[in-house]
Amino acid sequence: MTSSTREKEPGLVEQVDHLVRQARLAAAVFTQYSQEQVDNIVKAMALAAIDASPRLAMVACEETRMGVLEDKVLKNLVASEFLYKQIRDKRTVGVIKEFPEDNMMEIAEPIGVILALAPVTNPTSTVIFKSLCAAKTRNSIIFSPHLMAANSSNMAASILYEAALAAGAPKGFITWVEKSARLRRETELMMVHPEVDLIFATGGTQMVKAAYSSGKPALGVGPGNTPVYIHKSASVLSAVMDIIISKTFDNGTECPSEQTLIIDSEVYDEAMAEFQRLGCYLCSADEVNKVADVAIDPKTGSMNYRLVGQSAAAVAEEAGLSVEPATKILLCPLEGDLRYHKLAKEKLMPVMGIVKVDSIEEGINRALDVNYCGGTGHTSGIFATDDKAIERFATNINAGRIIVNCPTSLGGFGGFYNNLDTTFSFGCGTGGGNITTDNVGIKNLINYKRVPRRRNFTLTFQTTKNIYINPGSIEHLRSVKTKSAVVVTSRSAASRGHLSLVLERLPADCNVDVFSQIGVEPDWETIKEGIATMRHSKPDTIIALGGGSVMDAAKIMRLFYDWPDLDLKDISANFLDFRHRLNVFPKDVKTQLVAIPTTSGTGSEVTPFAVYKDNTTKHKVSLVDESLLPAVAILDANLTRSLPPRITADTAVDALTHALEALVSILSTDYTDGLALEAIRLIFEALPAAVADGGNVLWRHKLHNAACLAGMAIGNASVGVNHALAHSLGAAFDVPHGRANGVFLLTTIAYNAGIPTKFIPHSTYPLFVADKKYARAAQFLDLVEDESAGLAHKSVPGLVLALRRAVYDLLRQVDQPLSIEELGIGQDEFHSRLPALVESAYNDMSMRTNPRLPILVEVGELFLHSYQTRQRP
Amino acid sequence: MKHTETVKIKVALLRGVDEVDRLLAAGSGNLELDFTEVNFISVEGLEWLEELQLRAQSQGATVTFINLQPEQYKVFKVAHIDSLLKACGAPMRSGPSC
Ligand SMILES: [Fe+2]
Repeated sequence: MTSSTREKEPGLVEQVDHLVRQARLAAAVFTQYSQEQVDNIVKAMALAAIDASPRLAMVACEETRMGVLEDKVLKNLVASEFLYKQIRDKRTVGVIKEFPEDNMMEIAEPIGVILALAPVTNPTSTVIFKSLCAAKTRNSIIFSPHLMAANSSNMAASILYEAALAAGAPKGFITWVEKSARLRRETELMMVHPEVDLIFATGGTQMVKAAYSSGKPALGVGPGNTPVYIHKSASVLSAVMDIIISKTFDNGTECPSEQTLIIDSEVYDEAMAEFQRLGCYLCSADEVNKVADVAIDPKTGSMNYRLVGQSAAAVAEEAGLSVEPATKILLCPLEGDLRYHKLAKEKLMPVMGIVKVDSIEEGINRALDVNYCGGTGHTSGIFATDDKAIERFATNINAGRIIVNCPTSLGGFGGFYNNLDTTFSFGCGTGGGNITTDNVGIKNLINYKRVPRRRNFTLTFQTTKNIYINPGSIEHLRSVKTKSAVVVTSRSAASRGHLSLVLERLPADCNVDVFSQIGVEPDWETIKEGIATMRHSKPDTIIALGGGSVMDAAKIMRLFYDWPDLDLKDISANFLDFRHRLNVFPKDVKTQLVAIPTTSGTGSEVTPFAVYKDNTTKHKVSLVDESLLPAVAILDANLTRSLPPRITADTAVDALTHALEALVSILSTDYTDGLALEAIRLIFEALPAAVADGGNVLWRHKLHNAACLAGMAIGNASVGVNHALAHSLGAAFDVPHGRANGVFLLTTIAYNAGIPTKFIPHSTYPLFVADKKYARAAQFLDLVEDESAGLAHKSVPGLVLALRRAVYDLLRQVDQPLSIEELGIGQDEFHSRLPALVESAYNDMSMRTNPRLPILVEVGELFLHSYQTRQRP
Repeated sequence: MKHTETVKIKVALLRGVDEVDRLLAAGSGNLELDFTEVNFISVEGLEWLEELQLRAQSQGATVTFINLQPEQYKVFKVAHIDSLLKACGAPMRSGPSC
């Protein structure tokens, strides 16, 4: 296109290139200016504009033969004085905003070169407005005026430029296209010029369309057609005066000005009488047709541009009506279906449609008719004192500005009658084919650079408040304050004699009920039965007596007993991050929960976790929340003395896995690390003895405490990949949880100690240290790395190997399986179910706190590596 | 191989620097402009630098720019003037370069 233009219109391309290059250099130099320098320039420009306002108005009136001199002066002052006051103290250079709570700041980057269009209706005020906005935001601006107003627009540009230059602005930051027959062509070329960054269009629909189709970012404005509703609750007389002020302003050239009034019948006569008393002319049906014939161009069906900004008398004369020369507005009652009426459109002249309605519904519907007749997204108005009416109107009308109890033209400018941003460019949103509904201004001429600093979430440590920790501590039950208690337990608790131990120690005057229906995997039906028991006996205390399943079930029962209206769906959604989860739990619980573990494994007595089985999906559902934490835990190791060696080892391996996983978890802290390390040490020390001599309460005691310490660690740091694999395997082959954990340990320690294929993204896990954490555990256990492996003394890999060997030796010693094959699962069956195993493990929430992000293929490998019978590493 | 003379440009480059013009006119060799101290370049300064490149080219000499502060290097970037970016060591391209 350019080369052919070069040949056909010599000098045109060069002229355009020259203008754009000036603007480009100025934009580059402007990037170096400080806020103070910019503010001085803007002030000088505003002063010059205020000073030149009358002169510029006069020139505009003469050149365009449109509008009203006094009103054009006012517009120039709004664009200078009002705008200046609004933008004076705004930061537009460097750091413009800080968000301390979000650890973020915003820095301004200029747009660059702006091509600005100026309309014939506001040739000088628009230039003043856009020049001040450009200077304040350190942008260059090239004005392309309307051909019929080019001299006045360019005069405004030149006055502001000279003032800016004198105040130190970069040479050439304001430029303009001279009035000539080529003006339109030059504008078109600039719209697609590679060195123009943004088109700031205000003007005829055609120009705005051209701007948007240029392929460049554009701020445009859509056409308007402002409906104004006078609700019966309005103060009618002041509404009428406001409307006259607004519609006669500059002879109606303002696009937010009133186009059609919709008036409630209750106040219709009063309003019309006042309009006439103040000098408006009410047209008869015949006269309305005559006005419509001249105000609307029959060829285009839209307003007749020749009459834009002419006086009411001039329009009347054109229509063949005889009215007083001082007539303010021609009022045209619009009969019949509004949607078919010629005058229901935009007419930027003192001609206004009038519609009488019988209800608010009809009022809003007729306003919508006008609104959707070419004015969506632009402006509308309502006069009312009834807030409900205002809100209903505003909710339904599609307009960027819904002006309440003010003139819509002057109200639309902003800063005059209300606190809208001062503008001469009314964004119309998608209703008008625009990107914004803003009163466009400086905020739209900045590239906002957001600078978020890393956010460190608050870390916390929570656990059960009162923990009684030595053998014999069951005696504490005697001092528990309760008048009514429900003991939640399993059938085996009765047979092991635990239930009577508890019942004997509860206060004599306490009413006690027992719910002993908890099986291996409590389901929702069982939990509901327990809640029903509680509703019946109304306990103030719930005592959970048993292993993990019993404690988990009691936690859920207590929650729903306290909060009967709670919806399980609202608290059981899966989540990536605890702090972002969608689940909403109650803030507090009032019924006291006392947990008495009879195994040394899950640590559920101190965790905010509870798991139940969903009978319809057959999946386990995990609940996590502080409100699940018991208030009291009683760790009396005497209750574990009767545990058979098999279960002792199974549950202890679960506890060991908890400690090892919490140690390397991405949520681990100094607090959980201490607990995890000591838990590991105690298990290594006590487990073989407890398995060999189950009746020895000392080793039982150590193991019981180890499980509880590990519980506190996972209660805050959670678990990892090993649990994900174990959950999946356990569910598929019905393997006890602890035993399922044991078969993966040697594999997952090696895996987590390796360099991750994918690191896990988490703001509070800034450094991958899993291997060093395992090494620390080995040192804490006083393990000596084997020189035979060829690893350097005290090296991390050597210590990790030592830890894996120690785990191998411990599990072998207590006869725990160390691989899937050792569980007795056949190779064929394992392989046939492997895809399902992988999928289930991959989707397990435990994965999300693992220090290494396991990719899908790795999950498969972890299963495969864990299959064959293990040899000592 | 022509010899290269280095000239330190003063704090604000508001217009052409006579010393540089003289050295180039003398045709004694290539020039290297050191921008270490420069904290502002005006439109006139930019125009002079661009014109300097043209003059140097016609004489078969080079004028290179060194030690630009980021604030002024960014002015060149925003200005999109190839010859100035090239003087900072950028590869030559047709059209605006980045
Ligand atoms: Fe576990």
